[in-house]
Amino acid sequence: MTDSSKDLESEMGGSPPKTMDGSMTTFLGSMWEQITGFFKWHNLRRSLIQVGWAIMSIILALLVASLIMLGTGFNPIVAFSTLIGGALLQPDIIFWWATPLILTGLSVALAFRAGLFNIGAEGQLYMGSMAAAIVGFMAMLPIFVHPLLALLIGAVVGGLWAFVPAILKAYRGAHEVVTTMMMTYIAVPYFTTWLAAGPLRDPTLIQPQPQTPAIWPTAYLPELFGSFYLHFGFIIGILCVIGVWILLKNTVLGYEMRAVGLNEPAAEAAGINPKKMIVISLFLSGCLAGLGGAVEILGYYHRFYAGWSRGLGFDGITVAVLGANSPMGVLLGAIFFGFLRAGAIPMQTVGRVPAEMIDVIQGLVVLFVAAPKIVEWLAKREISWAQWIRKEPMKSLPIFLGSLFALIGSMILLAMAASMFGTLMVLDLIPNLPTLILTDPYMAMHVATLSLAIIFGVIGLYVFYALLRLEKRAIWAFLPLSIVLIILGVVNTLIFGGSLLIPLLVIGILGFVFAIWSYIVVVRQGVIFGGEF
Amino acid sequence: MQIIDVLFWGWIIQATLTLGTPLVLAGLGGMFSERSGVVNIALEGMMLMGAWAAVAASWYTDNPWTGVFAAIISGLILGAVHGVISVKLKGNQIVSGTGIILFAAGFTTLMLWVIWGTAGASGQVITLPEVRVPIIGLVSPLTFAMLALIPICWYLLYRTPFGLRLRAAGEDPSTLDTAGISVENYRMYGVLISGMLAAIAGAQMSIGFGSRFTIGMTAGNGFLALAAMIFGNWNPIGTLFAGLFFGFLQAISYGVQFAPGWEWLIGYSSFINMIPYISVIVALGIIRRSVPPKAIGVPYIKEKQV
Repeated sequence: MTDSSKDLESEMGGSPPKTMDGSMTTFLGSMWEQITGFFKWHNLRRSLIQVGWAIMSIILALLVASLIMLGTGFNPIVAFSTLIGGALLQPDIIFWWATPLILTGLSVALAFRAGLFNIGAEGQLYMGSMAAAIVGFMAMLPIFVHPLLALLIGAVVGGLWAFVPAILKAYRGAHEVVTTMMMTYIAVPYFTTWLAAGPLRDPTLIQPQPQTPAIWPTAYLPELFGSFYLHFGFIIGILCVIGVWILLKNTVLGYEMRAVGLNEPAAEAAGINPKKMIVISLFLSGCLAGLGGAVEILGYYHRFYAGWSRGLGFDGITVAVLGANSPMGVLLGAIFFGFLRAGAIPMQTVGRVPAEMIDVIQGLVVLFVAAPKIVEWLAKREISWAQWIRKEPMKSLPIFLGSLFALIGSMILLAMAASMFGTLMVLDLIPNLPTLILTDPYMAMHVATLSLAIIFGVIGLYVFYALLRLEKRAIWAFLPLSIVLIILGVVNTLIFGGSLLIPLLVIGILGFVFAIWSYIVVVRQGVIFGGEF
Repeated sequence: MQIIDVLFWGWIIQATLTLGTPLVLAGLGGMFSERSGVVNIALEGMMLMGAWAAVAASWYTDNPWTGVFAAIISGLILGAVHGVISVKLKGNQIVSGTGIILFAAGFTTLMLWVIWGTAGASGQVITLPEVRVPIIGLVSPLTFAMLALIPICWYLLYRTPFGLRLRAAGEDPSTLDTAGISVENYRMYGVLISGMLAAIAGAQMSIGFGSRFTIGMTAGNGFLALAAMIFGNWNPIGTLFAGLFFGFLQAISYGVQFAPGWEWLIGYSSFINMIPYISVIVALGIIRRSVPPKAIGVPYIKEKQV
């Protein structure tokens, strides 16, 4: 065994699994070890840390999303309560949304474990769903065979759509990010749409949307629990999660895939053929995405509509990224996004917050997961803050509370600025604002308050950040921030008849107290700022 | 040559320039980012955000040039987000780009609700003043800007110290670092320029040849721009020709609807639209003339000082 293959083993934490052609009992035995090993403390702890990181990213994304809602004049509390309440009322819709996300998420995650970024899952999903629909309406088959054959062909066609980029990657070095994306654009707006609008268009329908004929009822996937939405595809998704997990953990193929993904030169030195692994893993990845499309067509839509998925393949990237590319993580991530999607419609109809807020949250989650250092930094800060507060509560508490008050104050200021800006927008005053400021003192006051609110809202965010980082100059910015909060509270109530007096006064006065307190603690007593961090 | 042919080919040239401009502009943007070593698949999101910002600012000020300015600002902001995540924080560049695309798609749709209260399209705004050119017809001023930018970008990239350092950040960052120049800074410049140009491309789509913003209006043009940049082999002149070629194909696919004698092509305009994507796959995988910068996609981590 060469040195590099030893490196590889230490890197991957274990030796390769035994080949399967030994005896079935050893295979099952090793699986049992894996399952019990999952629940051993250090493994469990590692997964818990992963889950914790994902939750931190979600919380950060929700915080920024709340800021955006405040800035655009929506109430985040109403939005989240209607979202959660609405989703919990219809749990079957959560799992219905999660079904294709599990499969596309697994698709992206599996490719990622082999070091490949399959951002073209959307195209593979469309090709798979089209193939399943064609089998569904063209073939006349008995009841169990028909859906099975349609699923199989859907998966294989999805896999073949990823096979072209795989071959080009393995043997010609073309980057798979570009080629899978190009294959997606060939498939989604052009090829499948052309098929559904031209040769395969349902001749009996007069709707303008391109669609194929309906599939035969023999090809339907059965519904689960009598739900209108949830279908057998969810079970297939769970089976695939287990399958991919076994593939990655317990088979030689999965071990070799992961080896190529971790360190390609070392894997090659250890006798693994990376080209073969690239082709196999991207093909399997395409199969999973194609299967995701096929189950939706056979289980819910029952025919192929042009543009039916609206980005399920791209959402698969989000799910995989949030689930840290592990099968269990993908399952949890898919259910989480299914939850958001299921709550989106109640949020729009009951809470009057547009459902597109979910897309914003999704984008933010991905951005925060993309930058693990932000989350890592925050986690470290939190731990060290907790330690400091326990050790020296009198010295640390004013600074900690002050940073919290700076955050709340800046959010209120930004919300106030947003509502004042909204007034200007509704009255359509913005185009002739310069002349209005010069002629109308009330307008000048309005604009001055607005800009003060924006400026100090941003300063408040900075103070929050700088206090958490224990920067001394944050204290100097904190005092004027509190004073401005009090002044704005008075101005808002007396001149504009707003209702922000009490909260702004309370936060301003408390902030003032905390600012003086931390000033005394830090400057007078000479606390060494962040000495132990 | 009959008068109808002159009209038709004049229209084709006009449409090629109009549809090709956003592709070339965003492609140039992608080129700056990728030449500095940062993959930018977020072009699509930056274009969408620029298109929205341009319409929103023109709506409030009744002046399309403030729209272009607002688009530039929005592009710089998204570029800064992508830069901070993928350069400063060493995050995964493709994941970050995906996040920006998702965020831009959601945010612009949300803002349609907030500003215009509709789900589909914004209100009508004033477009940029077009310039009349003989035979071709009306041409957007941003098209002229794009044509002027090609030599400027070429000069900037190949004849100035800035360009040399930018290219070094993408080809061989450790040498640049040895020379005492910050790789991170040059990568940030690349991403910021990229966001700015992509957002101007978006502005061309919304207030250059339309007069409103519609949901997801860039519809894959960001990826097409990425394709133009790859097909143009990561240099300005190649990007210009590739972008105009893709614009020409788009123009043809619209033109077959009314061109005399081309009616038989109408059912196959999907295939004309596929050509750009197929040609990129061919260029990357089969001809292999397109060679990306060497250090692309790898965050540069400075060696620890002893």
